[in-house]
Amino acid sequence: MASASIGLRLVGGQVRSQLQYRTSFLLQTGAAFLATLADLLAILILFHQFHTLAGWTVGDIALLYGLVAVAWGLTDMVGGGFENLATLIRRGEFDRFLLRPVPAPLQVLAFDFQLRRLGRIANGLLALGLAWSWGALAWSLPKLLVLLLAIASSAVVFFTVLLISAAICFWTIESSEAQNIFTYGGTELASYPIPIYHPLLRGLFLYLVPLALTSYEPALFILGKPDPLGLPSVLRFAAPLVAGAFFALGYGLWQLGLRHYQSTGS
Amino acid sequence: MRVYLEAMRLAYRRYRTYGAATVAGLATNAFFGVLRSYVFIALYQNRGVTQGYSLHDAVSYVWLSQAMIMPLYLWSWFEIADTIRSGDIITDLSKPFDYFGYWLSRDLGRAAYHLLYRWLPTMLMGAILFGLRLPHNPLTWLWFALSLLMAVVLSFCLRFAINVSGFWTTDVRGLYGFAFLFVNFLSGFLVPLAFFPSLLGSVANALPFAGMISIPLTIFLEQAQGWALARLLLEQALWLAVFVAGARLVMRAAMHKLVVQGG
Repeated sequence: MASASIGLRLVGGQVRSQLQYRTSFLLQTGAAFLATLADLLAILILFHQFHTLAGWTVGDIALLYGLVAVAWGLTDMVGGGFENLATLIRRGEFDRFLLRPVPAPLQVLAFDFQLRRLGRIANGLLALGLAWSWGALAWSLPKLLVLLLAIASSAVVFFTVLLISAAICFWTIESSEAQNIFTYGGTELASYPIPIYHPLLRGLFLYLVPLALTSYEPALFILGKPDPLGLPSVLRFAAPLVAGAFFALGYGLWQLGLRHYQSTGS
Repeated sequence: MRVYLEAMRLAYRRYRTYGAATVAGLATNAFFGVLRSYVFIALYQNRGVTQGYSLHDAVSYVWLSQAMIMPLYLWSWFEIADTIRSGDIITDLSKPFDYFGYWLSRDLGRAAYHLLYRWLPTMLMGAILFGLRLPHNPLTWLWFALSLLMAVVLSFCLRFAINVSGFWTTDVRGLYGFAFLFVNFLSGFLVPLAFFPSLLGSVANALPFAGMISIPLTIFLEQAQGWALARLLLEQALWLAVFVAGARLVMRAAMHKLVVQGG
């Protein structure tokens, strides 16, 4: 509990310092919103021309896209420190974290908390709003609950990717490009229904990095669609469990890496 | 002239030393190429040619645009802005060569590297995985090369002007983000301009950003022939002249603002 309150204070400090340069903050948040809005517009343009994709309407895709965009936005807001852990290690910053009586992951998280990622999240919320206004969904309390859990679970999966990638840094002292494939690539991939991809890609995002289980499967329930892959329907509600298990695995790897960590000696 | 050629050669060699980054970057470009290809394969289910693009054309367009990312350097580039911040720009300015020409040469050297080590392998991967549509007419390669060169210089002028704006603003990165947002969308990088709704499509086609992706790719896919082709190249050349003049103008204005403190 004590460390949670310290964590909140550290993040609060970051937020206050970022709000000092108000114009710059607004510009960057606006830029993040517009940059991701361009992706959403691209989808709308494609549907203006092609109307459906594998039986999914533009409203259905907007739901899937919004779910994933909000989840990645949340992770990206807190994950910058993990993404750049190699730099922190090389500069010796990480060694300072280890000297303080606050859990290291919490400090890494608070070190690079980026409020401007709200722009990215706003774009995802816009997509969800569009999905709702186009009436692709008949809302009910269980569906709303499944959506919220799916967003949270997908955010945890994205965060675990960063955590695993950071854990590998303890050995290699180099950030890996592979994380981009699973984070930025993952958001792109999971914005469309999984059956359209090659079985190899599908397997990668169902069973290795289970992003499809935390986004596509819950979306099937929310939209009331059958699954052409014929996976057990219980999977549509398994997102929190899957995300929890994946996170446990990632955290274990982080702990293992931390024990192996010997500083860079500079 | 020899100075500029030498700058070009050195820039080429400098980029060649980052071999590992090249392999990693290629993997990412290819991964996105694969994802975007599958999206078009799904969209084209039960459909024939759409707006002049067959599925084969659309998938080829995807890989071509992924291949263009590095030669055009569509992501962050702050080399000049960083020298403005550190003050190192003074050393470059006091050397006896044309400042714009010097950086252009360096950028062309960089582009040559990225053409060989990023464009070519990306296209190769696309060709192996999905089978790309290559030009039927051998002359198309020549027109494409010309258009690609102009696209690189267009992109350079935009990056140059934004970097030099560092004389007035401390938020070059914010400005850069805004500018390249328009580039991503209006150049036809995210979606071919042919698929845009008619009004938006006409606007995008009339803007200079089309010269960075849409025009060279339209030429490569042989969507424009004869007069239409000549018109595209001419449009691109006109915007190129405007951009070069604009970038030099920004540079001249910046020189009036420059104060060198003796040290």
